[in-house]
Amino acid sequence: MIFLYFISMTNYDLGTPLSSAKFIGFDNFIRLFSGKDREFWPSIRVTTLLSITATLFELILGFIIALFLNSIEKFKGSIISIIMLPMVITPVIVGLLWKLMLNNDHGIINWIIMQLGLNPPAWLSSQYSLLSVLIVEIWQWTPFVTLILLSGLTALPIEPLEASSIDGATYLDTLIYIIIPIMRPIILLAVLFRLIDVIKIFDIVFVLTGGGPGSATETLSIHAYRLGFYQTGWIGRASATGVILAIIATVASFYMIKFLQENRRSM
Amino acid sequence: MIASQRLKTNRFFNFIKIIILIIILFFSIFPVFYMVTTSFKTPIQTYNPAIWFFKPTLENYQNLITKFHVIPYIINSIIITSFSVVLALVLGSLAAYSLANFDFRWKDEIAGWMLSLRYLPPMAAVIPLFLLSQLTHLYDKHLLLILAYQSFNIPFATWMLRGFFEEIPKELEEAAMVDGASRWQSLLHILLPLSRPGMFATTALLVIQTWNEFTLAFFLTSNSARTIPTITSQFQTVRGILWGEMTALGVVTILPVIIFAILARKYLVRGLTFGAIK
Repeated sequence: MIFLYFISMTNYDLGTPLSSAKFIGFDNFIRLFSGKDREFWPSIRVTTLLSITATLFELILGFIIALFLNSIEKFKGSIISIIMLPMVITPVIVGLLWKLMLNNDHGIINWIIMQLGLNPPAWLSSQYSLLSVLIVEIWQWTPFVTLILLSGLTALPIEPLEASSIDGATYLDTLIYIIIPIMRPIILLAVLFRLIDVIKIFDIVFVLTGGGPGSATETLSIHAYRLGFYQTGWIGRASATGVILAIIATVASFYMIKFLQENRRSM
Repeated sequence: MIASQRLKTNRFFNFIKIIILIIILFFSIFPVFYMVTTSFKTPIQTYNPAIWFFKPTLENYQNLITKFHVIPYIINSIIITSFSVVLALVLGSLAAYSLANFDFRWKDEIAGWMLSLRYLPPMAAVIPLFLLSQLTHLYDKHLLLILAYQSFNIPFATWMLRGFFEEIPKELEEAAMVDGASRWQSLLHILLPLSRPGMFATTALLVIQTWNEFTLAFFLTSNSARTIPTITSQFQTVRGILWGEMTALGVVTILPVIIFAILARKYLVRGLTFGAIK
């Protein structure tokens, strides 16, 4: 049994960046960090900006929606089925779908904006493209945060809530002093999950903007793709970027896994 | 008097609630609805977002089959998804069984390390896999994707099933062993049948994530093993994007995923958080 288990491990060892180690020297890394590779630091900036803002918005929106859904008694099951729709859809299709809706000339969103008598922005231009990626990311993944937080809310112990309402606390007081502190581990978990996922974002950006215009939406993953597969084929330099990406994701996921295992033990 | 007033404010609150709910549902569903309607439009109609009532046409779906030959890609997706899900379930349940039932050194470390592979950015994994596939002549073969997908499917199956296995009382298995059952027999006849809902949920979630995978499929195949999510670039022609065909493809791609998601609804959160939240 253990033998089989080890076979299963060697099986996916294929996916680790270790095998690429022999293909890269330190030169590639020096090149990245020294700024010779002009798109590297901007791509770090884009990735950081995107992951922090997306996670923040998803958390706030998700929390509000979860609080709201928690107060509903009827049809909860079917409502949840509809709400979870965005997050199960193939991300590439999500990207395309929004590309259609955000289109300058015949997109539905600009049509609506024009009907309201406003000046429609060029969503996929260098000025707004990062915002567009952000909107799509938030649309697809807010349901995930909502569902996590909702499961936390339904598991809340009733006694402290009752006690606070007897003491005459307002809803806001209860929220800030009781609900949020109890929910802290679950909130943290949701944040970690989203951060790690946004750091490695690739498919949505790839389809929606391709990292452009220019390098306006070039995340680390897109940067690696552009170096390695797009025209140039500098696999070595692309792998160096890939390694950095993997290190960032591994450090983040290390914290999350530690957290998950503590959660498991306490349950 | 007071009671009727309270009733009134209650009604008012309920009204507001329904409005908010409709807004939330609208935002979730509208983009998908819009894609579905566009897929039934003629090419000229796709350039006018404001057409709501029109005679639906199946032209785009016919084009997908006759002009773009998408059937082989659908078959590829089905082959790759089913084989990699079955393989992950078999290996994952064995790994999960040992993690749930045996005590050995570094157990948590091994489990954690497995899970960390699940979080490897696909773009970081794709480069070595690409090179290896060239070396082993597996590039553009179904087998390559089936194996590559194990890198995230096995950890996923292991973590999910471990949680489900641990929920089954140990006494049942011990009783079976006292009666002379071997480890294999107890796994096959006690644990697996008892964790059927868990198995089912794990399968549905594995199908969703494998079917949706884009990055590896895009870079590790060129033609004969391409899956449906990766062929969308074919619809960007010199004359612009063929929105009709593209949205039709989108509908075809997301249909199976939505069915599986509804089937596994109860387990979706549990699956996405690796059992951290039940």
